[in-house]
Amino acid sequence: MSERILDCLGEACPIPLIRTQKALVDLAVGDVLVVQVDHSCAVKNVPEWASKVGHNYEVDEIDDGQWEIVIEKVH
Amino acid sequence: MPATETPLPSARRIARIAPARKERANQLPYALVLLAVAAAVAYELVVRRESPVSGFVWIVGIALGLAMQRSRFCFTAAMRDPLLTGSTSLTKAVIVGLAVATAGFAAAQFGAFSKAGQFADAMKLSSLDPVGLHTVVGGVLFGIGAVIAGGCATGTLMRAGEGFVQQWLALPFFVVGSAAGAASYPLWKAALFVDPKRVVYLPKALGGFGLALVLQFGLLLAAWLAADWWGKRKATIH
Amino acid sequence: MTPDSELSRGPGPAATPPAIAVDQGGRVRLRERETYKTLFVNPWTYTTGAVVLALLNVVLLLATGKAWGVTTSLTYWGAWAWRWLGGQPQHWRYFAEIKPAFNRPGFDFLADAGSLTNVGIVLGALLAALLANQFRVKKLKAKRQIVAAVAGGLLMGFGARLAFGCNIGAMFTAIPALSLHGWVFLVSIFAGAAVGSRLLLRYFV
Repeated sequence: MSERILDCLGEACPIPLIRTQKALVDLAVGDVLVVQVDHSCAVKNVPEWASKVGHNYEVDEIDDGQWEIVIEKVH
Repeated sequence: MPATETPLPSARRIARIAPARKERANQLPYALVLLAVAAAVAYELVVRRESPVSGFVWIVGIALGLAMQRSRFCFTAAMRDPLLTGSTSLTKAVIVGLAVATAGFAAAQFGAFSKAGQFADAMKLSSLDPVGLHTVVGGVLFGIGAVIAGGCATGTLMRAGEGFVQQWLALPFFVVGSAAGAASYPLWKAALFVDPKRVVYLPKALGGFGLALVLQFGLLLAAWLAADWWGKRKATIH
Repeated sequence: MTPDSELSRGPGPAATPPAIAVDQGGRVRLRERETYKTLFVNPWTYTTGAVVLALLNVVLLLATGKAWGVTTSLTYWGAWAWRWLGGQPQHWRYFAEIKPAFNRPGFDFLADAGSLTNVGIVLGALLAALLANQFRVKKLKAKRQIVAAVAGGLLMGFGARLAFGCNIGAMFTAIPALSLHGWVFLVSIFAGAAVGSRLLLRYFV
């Protein structure tokens, strides 16, 4: 169960979501993807997509205007 | 507050190394300074320029920015995500907003119309602009630009306020493009057959407010249902 | 040590911090108060945002006789900048035929409702971010972002003139105002967004 970090800091939307979608394809089931974002849109649209597709996720605000969206690949 | 659109995540915490917590400075003092600046501008408008309406408009502008940032609103995403990511949550929200505003605007316009039964009175409260081929061309160019830049007109303003350097850059070029468009008006007026008088006020064109509103709300409802259906399909992956 | 999660436990009542958190120094930590959090820290729903924007637009119309718009004022800003650089925008046919307000005596930045709302939006967004302790400068990461900003900005500015408005003036205002150009613009920007998405995936990811 490995953890991969996806640095999307400074990216405009919807780049973080597109990158997240691509990255998850490469992971194995049970792996965890940590998406680092500072875009307020991404904090909503990435979890929304993750949940729609069925993965587990969490959102942590780790600094002012900076979040980590943690996604666990479920299938 | 109504429940969030984003469903609750799993109850079990995902196993991972929690990141180190940084010592965070409080930003509230800066917010208070900003409020003072806003109040100073309001004072200038209301007292020195003797225009309470302007002061009110200023406050409304601030409220608009606040509301958009708080809700992470994005018109660009509303038109881009259905195709790019399969999400229509923003699209549906925009449609709801359009419906609410239609009700309010229509009430105001109908009230004005009713005074003397003249569409012209209602049209003064509308935002009638010429329609034609130029609208289509302009819309397409605008749509392309908004998706590339990562924000439309309001998105650019909002994100400039949020500190995105990309939008700090986009905004002046938006201004340049606007001025260039105005300066070159004679050229594209001819090329795209613009007729400044060709405005279409739906109640007048359709022969009444009733029909126009039934049609508009009907279209909005149909659009909302279509967006709802589309959004429930499997998520698109690129 | 639990993280300060924005969404991980869902909104509002599900969270259990005290209504007023008082830290060791005896200071009341505003951010922990539920009401403050609901209003200023946790995000609102999209629908809430849309309804608030719509109501504010109606309020603008009732108070001033004119609904919300963005890009006409950006055009004025550009024209004023051009004049400052030595140009003569007051002679542009555009202002004679389409926006005569530009040449009205005494018309300046603070007299233009659209200019006030535009700056207000920037300020309001900044304020919202600060109140939630979420403000951060997001610097450019790659050269493609410069191209994106410049090209996107120019296209939007020019396109909005052709259509006589933007996502607000020619859509969010125009459609509720029962003007046909709003619907035509709506369909057109969807088409443009489709093209823009192709370009985005190809060159800007």
